[in-house]
Amino acid sequence: MEINENPLNTQSPAPGFVNLFRVEDVFNLARANSLWPLTFGLACCAIELMAGGAARFDMDRFGFGVFRPSPRQADLMIVAGTISRKMVPCIKTLYDQMPSPKYVIALGGCATAGGPFKFPGQYGILEGIDKIIPVNVYVPGCPPRPEALIAGIMALQKQIKSGKTQGVMTPAVVHDSQDNHPAEYKNAISRVEFRQPKAGPPQAEKPPTPTPTAPTPENKG
Amino acid sequence: MPAVLEKNIKSWLLEVIKPQEFNEKNLKSSGILFEAVVAQNQIRDVAKEFLSQGYFLESLTAVDFAECFEVVYHFNHWDSTKRSCVKILVPKDLPAAPSISSIYKSANWFEREIFEFFGITFVDHPNLKRLLLPESSQIFPLLKSFKGEPAGGDVLQSLKLIEEDRQGFEITYPRSISRHKEDYYLNLGPQHPSTHGVLRVLLHLSGERVLDAEPVIGYSHRHHEKMMEIQTYLACWPNFGRLDYVGAMSYNMGYAILIEKAMGLEPPPRVEYIRVLTTELNRIASHLLWMGTFLLDLGAFTPFFYCFDDREKILDMLEMVTGERLTYDYFRFGGLDKDIPADMIPAVKKFIPEFKKRLRDYDKLITKNIIFKHRTRGIGVLTKETAIAYGVTGPSLRASGIPLDLRRQEPYSIYKELDFEIPTRQEGDVFARFSVRVREMEESLKIVAQVIDKMPAGKITLGKLPKNVPKGETYSAVEAARGSFGIYLVSDGSLNPYRMKLRTPSFSNLNALIDVLPGCLVSDVVAILGSIDIVLPEIDR
Repeated sequence: MEINENPLNTQSPAPGFVNLFRVEDVFNLARANSLWPLTFGLACCAIELMAGGAARFDMDRFGFGVFRPSPRQADLMIVAGTISRKMVPCIKTLYDQMPSPKYVIALGGCATAGGPFKFPGQYGILEGIDKIIPVNVYVPGCPPRPEALIAGIMALQKQIKSGKTQGVMTPAVVHDSQDNHPAEYKNAISRVEFRQPKAGPPQAEKPPTPTPTAPTPENKG
Repeated sequence: MPAVLEKNIKSWLLEVIKPQEFNEKNLKSSGILFEAVVAQNQIRDVAKEFLSQGYFLESLTAVDFAECFEVVYHFNHWDSTKRSCVKILVPKDLPAAPSISSIYKSANWFEREIFEFFGITFVDHPNLKRLLLPESSQIFPLLKSFKGEPAGGDVLQSLKLIEEDRQGFEITYPRSISRHKEDYYLNLGPQHPSTHGVLRVLLHLSGERVLDAEPVIGYSHRHHEKMMEIQTYLACWPNFGRLDYVGAMSYNMGYAILIEKAMGLEPPPRVEYIRVLTTELNRIASHLLWMGTFLLDLGAFTPFFYCFDDREKILDMLEMVTGERLTYDYFRFGGLDKDIPADMIPAVKKFIPEFKKRLRDYDKLITKNIIFKHRTRGIGVLTKETAIAYGVTGPSLRASGIPLDLRRQEPYSIYKELDFEIPTRQEGDVFARFSVRVREMEESLKIVAQVIDKMPAGKITLGKLPKNVPKGETYSAVEAARGSFGIYLVSDGSLNPYRMKLRTPSFSNLNALIDVLPGCLVSDVVAILGSIDIVLPEIDR
C-alpha cells in the first residue's frame, strides 16, 4: 500500500492510496487559501494594492481579495508605503490587534528598507517595517506592479502551506520552482526576493497590551 | 478692472506702508509681480488690505539665511494672476513674528508648519503646536544648522513613540466649544478605509452630529523639502513623482516649468505637446481613481471596477511612454526623458471614443442615480468666502463658483493655443464637486484630441545644460489635478536648491474642512472627505 506522508507538499510524489497528514497541515491549507488582508495603505504602493484588487488584476481569483477594514478580522497585513515615524505606533497597534496566526508583507522599497526616502541623517521615516514587526515576504519595487504583489502573496501562501511560518513567524527562504504558477507571473516571481531573518527585532511573543487609539472622554484633557 | 486693482495694492503699499525694500519683478521670469519687504508690525495691515482686495494667501513659508529668517508671503488673486510677494525679516536671536491666522484662516496651518520646521513662534496664534512631526519631537529640521539624526535614530525614536502611545495621550482641543451632555470624541483614522490614506480626523460629536472637526496630518511626512536641499537639481525628479502619485505628471510639469523659468529656457514645441498630452491623460486617470474610491466610500461598489478598468487603459499608454505606472519621472529640464513610441498615438486615438462612451455610461449609472443624488446634494457646502479665506484651489474651488484655473489664468506651456472650457458650478456641495470633476475629464479628453492632431515633429531635448540654477528666487505654479501646485525656489547658484517650498493644493483644501464639517452627520463626513479629493503624501510632503 502506498503511503504518502505529506500530501500537501507540492514537491512530494503523486498522492497515494492512503494519505496521512497532520491536522496542522490542514489548518495551514485553509489559512493559506483564505488570507484576509487588512485594508491599509500608507502611500504610493497603496494605489497599486487597490489596482491589484480592482478589475484587471482581481486578486480575488487567488483567494486573497477579501479586504477587511478592521484588524480584528484580518490575518495579513500588507505594509504598503513609506512608514513615517508618526505612523509607527499606529502600525504597531494594528499589528497587535490582529489575531494570530498573522502574516506581514512588506510591499515596496520603503516598507522594505526606506526606499528612495532613505538618506544619512533623515529625520522622518522608519527604514523598513521589519525593525518593528516580523515580516514574511518582501516585495521590491517603487511601487511594485500588482503582479509582483500577487506573486508576493502567492509566495506567502506557499510558506504557510509548507508549514514554514508555523509557530515563530520568521521570514522564510523559499526555493520556488515557479512551476506551480501561471506562465504570465513567472517574471514577477523572480522579482520577489526573500531574506534571511535578521537578528534583533522582537519576534512572535507580543505582550498583549492594546493601546487606546480612540480617545475616551476621561483622557481628553 | 484688474489693472486698476493691481495699481491700487502697489501704490497703497508704496504710499501707506512704505516698505523697506520694493522690487518690481517680471511675472514671466520670476512668477511674481513685485516683492516688498515690510516691517514685522505692518504685516497684519498688509494682510488685511490684501484680503479686502480679494487676494488669497497662496503660500507662506520661511527661509533660513545666515543673518536672519525671512518669512515669505505669496498672495494671489482669484480673478487674474497678480501674484505678489511680501516678506518680513525675523531676527535669529528672537525668532517671533506676528500671526495673520485671524485674517487668513489658511495661515493657521502654514504658520504651524513654519514653527515646526524653523522654530519661529507666531504671536497670537491660536494653536501653535507641531503639525507634521510627532508632537514630542524636539527638532527643527529645515534649519541649516540641523545636520540630521545619527544612524539608527529611526528605530530608537520609533520605539519611543510606541512607548508614548502605550501610555495614552492628552488631547488639547483647539477651539472652545459649548460642552453638551452627550458629546464625545471620535477618531476617524489614521487607518480608515475612507480617509484615502493616513489622515486622522478628530471629530467632536453630539450624537451623530459633528460639533467640531480637526484634521490631524503628518502620518505620511517624507521630508521632501529637506531632501531637496541636500540633493542636486536633477536628483529631485523622483521626489516629484512621489509627491502626488496619482497625478504625478502635473508635478513633473511644475518642476520642469520652475527650472525653465529660473534658467530662462524655452523647450522645443514637440516637448510641450508631449508634456500636455501626458499630463492631461494623467489628469483623467487621477480623476478616475478619485471617482472610483469616492463612490466606494458612498457604498457604490460597481463604479470602482469600471473606473479602474478605464484607468488601466490610460496607465498602459503612459507606461508605453514612461515605463512606469504611477510615480512618473519623465520630464527633464527643457525636454523629456525619451520620445513617445510610435504606437502611442494610435492607442490614444482608439481610447478617445471608447472613453467618451464610458463617460455617458457613468452619467447613466451615477449622476442620475437617486441614492447618489440624495447623499450628495446640499451636503458639505463650501462657500465662496470660506474657499478664499482658506486658499482652496482646483475643482473644489471651481465647484464653489470661482473659475480659477491656472491653465487659463496663467497659461503655461501650450494651454494658450488649446480650446477647452473651465467647468464651474455655483452650489459648492459634494455633488457640485463631483460634476465639476466629471466635466473636467471631458475637457481633458478634448485637450488630448487637439494635442495629438497638432503634434509637431522635432527635437525632444535642448542638449547639455548647466548643472546649477542662477542665483535668485522663482515661483512657479501649475494646475494639478487637485488644484494649484506651486513651488517657491530660492537658489544660491550652487548645485542644489537652497530652499524649495512646495505649495501643495490638498494642504489648503483639507484645511478648509475645519469650517465645512461642523453641523453634518458622521456618514456625510466620509462623503465630504472623499469629495475634496485628497492625497495624503502630498499634504504631508
